[in-house]
Amino acid sequence: MSPDPQKTPAEPASTTIATKHFGQIVVREDQIITFSPGLLGFSELHRYILIEHGQESPFLWLQCVDQPDLAFVVIDPLFVLPNYQIGPLNGVQKELDLKNPHDLKILVILTIPPGHPQDMTANLMGPLLINLANRRGKQLVLESSPYSHKHPVIKR
Amino acid sequence: MLILTRKIGEGIILGDDIRIAVLEIRGKQIRIGIEAPPNVVVLREEIYQRIQEENLQAAGVRDVDLKEIANLFKTKKANEPGSTENSG
Repeated sequence: MSPDPQKTPAEPASTTIATKHFGQIVVREDQIITFSPGLLGFSELHRYILIEHGQESPFLWLQCVDQPDLAFVVIDPLFVLPNYQIGPLNGVQKELDLKNPHDLKILVILTIPPGHPQDMTANLMGPLLINLANRRGKQLVLESSPYSHKHPVIKR
Repeated sequence: MLILTRKIGEGIILGDDIRIAVLEIRGKQIRIGIEAPPNVVVLREEIYQRIQEENLQAAGVRDVDLKEIANLFKTKKANEPGSTENSG
């Protein structure tokens, strides 16, 4: 008896999505991060995946599952500012159903001006918080913080 | 725009689960209280616009620019060993 190649119930469900930067890629359901509400300005789009940029690169792509040409470059904020702290989480812990603080992944979005990548800035004011345990995410806005939404990444 | 007049302590209801109340008036400043479910974004308008605009700009990233900057970091890393090790 050979297994039917059409039926592989042990595999997690996967879907093929179109992307601008990576072409067609296969995404497992358990890789999808759901931002609710969506990122500011993209409130209708909730589902994203993280893709490593390269082995030696500190950058990650945050690729939208439902819109091929929407992708952000994100980075660990500690790479930009070693003492970066988002402060008390208040209600966010509940919103993300965060049970273990170690499950919290913090990333910040980079703005890379076309043709002038050395002028890139990090949005330290609007970090992305992701609960790795359930892959729920949220863009937090640190209203009363010293951090800029345009923090220069490369000092000159 | 809908315009309503309210006194201190009076509120306005938006939909089923958002309530806005006027708490205090001090000269030219008004303190407003907002009750909304956690999935509703509540921000000062100028802050909202700043982050939204930044997200929109960030979404326009080109692969070629990222490659260039990643190469720069590779060389930087080589010059400053261990400087980028951080636990998240």
